[in-house]
Amino acid sequence: MSQFFYLIPALTVLAGALVLMFMSMYEKFTVKNFIVISSFFLLIALGFSLSNINSSYSVQPFESLLNNVLTFDTFSNFFNILLIAGTLLTLLIGEHYFQHRSYFKGEFFSILLFALFGMMILAHANELVTAYIALEIASFSIYIMVGYNSDDSKRVEAIFKYLVLGSFIGAFYLLGVVLIYGATQSTNLANLSAFILTANSDQMILVYIGLTLILFTFLFKIAAFPFQSWVLDVYRGAPMVITAYMASTFKIAIFSFFLRMILSYIAPIIDFWDAIITIIIVLTLVFGTWLAITQQIIKRMLAASSIVHTGYVLLAFIALSYKDGQIINIDSAYATMFYLIAYLLSALGAFGLASHIISETNVKVTYDDFKGLAKQRPFLAAMMTIFLFSLAGIPSTIGFIGKLYVFTEAINAGYIGLTIVAIIATIVSVYYYFKLIAMMYFYSPQEACISEEFNDKRVSTYAIAFVAILTLLGGIGSAIVFFIPAMNIDEIIKLTQFAVQSLFIK
Amino acid sequence: MSSDILSFIIFLPAVVALGLMLTTRDVNTIRNIAFLTTTVILALVLKIYIEFVPSAGMQFVTNVPWIETYGISYYIGLDGFSLTILMMIAILIPTAYLLLWEGKTKGYWINMLLVQSGVTGTLFSLDIVLFYFFWEVMLLPVFLMIGSYGFGDKVFTTIKVTVYTMAGSLLMFIAILYLGVAHFKQFGEWSFAYDSLMQISTIPYDTKVWLFLAFLAAFAIKIPIFPLHTWIMETYKNAPTGAVFLLSSIMAKLGVYAIVRFMIPIFPEIYVEFSTWFVAIGLFGLVYFGIAALMQDDIKRMFAYSSASHLSFIAAGIFSLNAYGINGSLYLIIAHAIATGALFLLVGLMQEQTGFKTIKDLGGIAKKAPIFTFIFAVMLFANIGLPGTNGFVSELLIIFGIYEFNHTLGYIAALTVIIGATYMLWMFQRAILQNRPEGSVELKMRDLKVKEIIGLAPWVVLVFLMGFYPEIFMNKFEPTVTYYLNDILHIGAVK
Repeated sequence: MSQFFYLIPALTVLAGALVLMFMSMYEKFTVKNFIVISSFFLLIALGFSLSNINSSYSVQPFESLLNNVLTFDTFSNFFNILLIAGTLLTLLIGEHYFQHRSYFKGEFFSILLFALFGMMILAHANELVTAYIALEIASFSIYIMVGYNSDDSKRVEAIFKYLVLGSFIGAFYLLGVVLIYGATQSTNLANLSAFILTANSDQMILVYIGLTLILFTFLFKIAAFPFQSWVLDVYRGAPMVITAYMASTFKIAIFSFFLRMILSYIAPIIDFWDAIITIIIVLTLVFGTWLAITQQIIKRMLAASSIVHTGYVLLAFIALSYKDGQIINIDSAYATMFYLIAYLLSALGAFGLASHIISETNVKVTYDDFKGLAKQRPFLAAMMTIFLFSLAGIPSTIGFIGKLYVFTEAINAGYIGLTIVAIIATIVSVYYYFKLIAMMYFYSPQEACISEEFNDKRVSTYAIAFVAILTLLGGIGSAIVFFIPAMNIDEIIKLTQFAVQSLFIK
Repeated sequence: MSSDILSFIIFLPAVVALGLMLTTRDVNTIRNIAFLTTTVILALVLKIYIEFVPSAGMQFVTNVPWIETYGISYYIGLDGFSLTILMMIAILIPTAYLLLWEGKTKGYWINMLLVQSGVTGTLFSLDIVLFYFFWEVMLLPVFLMIGSYGFGDKVFTTIKVTVYTMAGSLLMFIAILYLGVAHFKQFGEWSFAYDSLMQISTIPYDTKVWLFLAFLAAFAIKIPIFPLHTWIMETYKNAPTGAVFLLSSIMAKLGVYAIVRFMIPIFPEIYVEFSTWFVAIGLFGLVYFGIAALMQDDIKRMFAYSSASHLSFIAAGIFSLNAYGINGSLYLIIAHAIATGALFLLVGLMQEQTGFKTIKDLGGIAKKAPIFTFIFAVMLFANIGLPGTNGFVSELLIIFGIYEFNHTLGYIAALTVIIGATYMLWMFQRAILQNRPEGSVELKMRDLKVKEIIGLAPWVVLVFLMGFYPEIFMNKFEPTVTYYLNDILHIGAVK
């Protein structure tokens, strides 16, 4: 029974998805009902996950049933919390948007929870085929959600591009799995890990090729160069809320699996990819920056800047290294995870706020449409400013602390040149983020964009305000102003450390 | 715990600003509360000034862990250098309020308060990451002020000044992280406190030069030192008076202060080795900006160049490696802050009243506004360095210092001061004294109000007090300078 306890969060989400699916058969439920029901299930799942947050454990329950393909440990629990919280916040921030778009019906919420279920399983997976299935559950749900925007002619392009490219890269993954199976006669990562430690270099060729193919899938999903081309169009065509969800939460899910694989199973050979990843980081930063400067549409600018942020996360990722039977620079894994949290909050806030503003109308799309927002909605403009500061890495926001960690770890690992490239990308990012702030504060509003009966007092606004407060709290901490050690920034790092250490419980 | 007084000084304006942001009271109430806050701070600063012991080194220290994982702490304190600048800030800001009193909006005052928090935080920080934190944060309200209340092509100006200064700051950021990592590698624990970074001995020489330059990039842009000055002309011209005052009188000085606080202790040998270059660049900047100022017709631009010229002089003094030069520079920081601060505020007032921006449109101010002209003249003379004013004492000390450092450069320094006198007096003659030509438009100009005179009176007194009795002020920071020269640079104080 105690083993069953660990399964509860994932099962709750699954149950929620099924319940919502059945509910959607009836006409009488409104969108509001669906939001309430899904939030209810998410809260239960979040509650169960949070109850384990301070215990360090690692189990593979129900061996006969699950066949050791899922690991339940503090690490996966940590990611589950992030994923559930990300979904819940997306749902609450999107409340306004969902209610004013006729195409959001009951099934949508069911699909959202299925996507979350897939991501949660991905965080638990320690077997390559299971990971693939989990990844595809999540991906397919997201393909569908991308296509929901029936008002927008861009959606066909978005869904088609994403579906085709995503399936194509999925084939790479499967080929990689097959090659690894050819070498090791197993798809379980534990066996792969044992194989790597004993194999000679001839036997390793297939493993290297296979893992490189899997790495490509990873790079595609997190939108690193040269697999970034889908991002702009898909993010543009998807409903705004889904863009927020993809940029923040889905990225975290991808990282959860690959961090587990790299830290816990294939650590001895991670330095093999250093050269490739170095080039990829440079190109990701350069192309992302270039794309972001040239955009006129806010959504596309945020999408392009998410590519740049991928570059920053990879910078912490590359700082991981292996020497003499252990991972050195394990701190950079914490930095990666911290940065993911920072990006989750700021991206969710920025995209979410943009969706909140356009809920009732379709204007406020380009830079120009944001003119004068500070005079119409000072609080929303202030919150947008906080999120943009955080994305740009200005001190007093969590984005700054995230960058501090990532850059410190990169320098600590000796990647000074890369860090300088990243700093230059940051300098340029100040330009495109501050341009939006300038639009909001220094111009008077355009006639076409003024909406009088905009209702500020609703769930979306409070959810965004909550995220904004978290963003500031994560950047300042409580020690500096209130001298309370309890809610400090260190606590987040300790959680990440705790989570990573559970990977090494044997 | 008496050391909490510094935290109080840092955060009081920010807390008040946040409170004011949420209220819906009218702008006058908000301004009055903001003004009251600055006077409370002035009182606290005076208390500190009295309690301060010149020979005791770092005082009022608070050291609380902030981000323990990386050894970053909320580490603040005060020594002779920071006390001097703190006094300057605390006195200048309330006066600025009095001169900016009318016709401002709610956001203007809130931003002024936030800036004050930022600058005092920067001033007290002894942990370099904390310093970076405040250094960046203090820029943001100015960004909003220029964009919201500026003139001309204000948005372009705002973006330009932000990206420019952020570029410098981020280069410094990388150097800061590198130092932290170097400390970790050498001692096995993280720390970003300036006194532990001083202990690092493993950084190779070449890297140190790069780090030094990265730090300098941030500070040289803020000061600005030639050739990183290109942002100031537009900014000073397009920015509202309050923002210009903050940038020129206060933030530029913090750039100089930061060189003394962080760069000298952390890179003493590089500082000594490159000093000739920087004295030369400083003097070149003095001449270059001086000549540029001569040729300006827009009065704010002229002051922008004049300010840059003086700051180059200050920078030259800082790099002169002896007690005369550094004392003189610190003294000039205050003298210049008072003089330039007053002049920018007065020019702002003049522009608001007359609506003219250029020197050739002005003229005949002296007849219409005698008190204005008197105070303008006093500040102008202090700026030029006429004997009896504080500017004289400081410029003399710097020239001594540079002479001591290198005779040739000393002669050059002495000669260049003439340029400053030329453009200032010429401008004064044309814009203020000279009668308006026959048939020109009627000049609208009022004299100073009582409130403004009260605000400026302490400055006028200070100009002469500091000019006649420099010891009272020097004694507070001289021990710190001596400590720097003897114990950090190991070159001995020239006495």
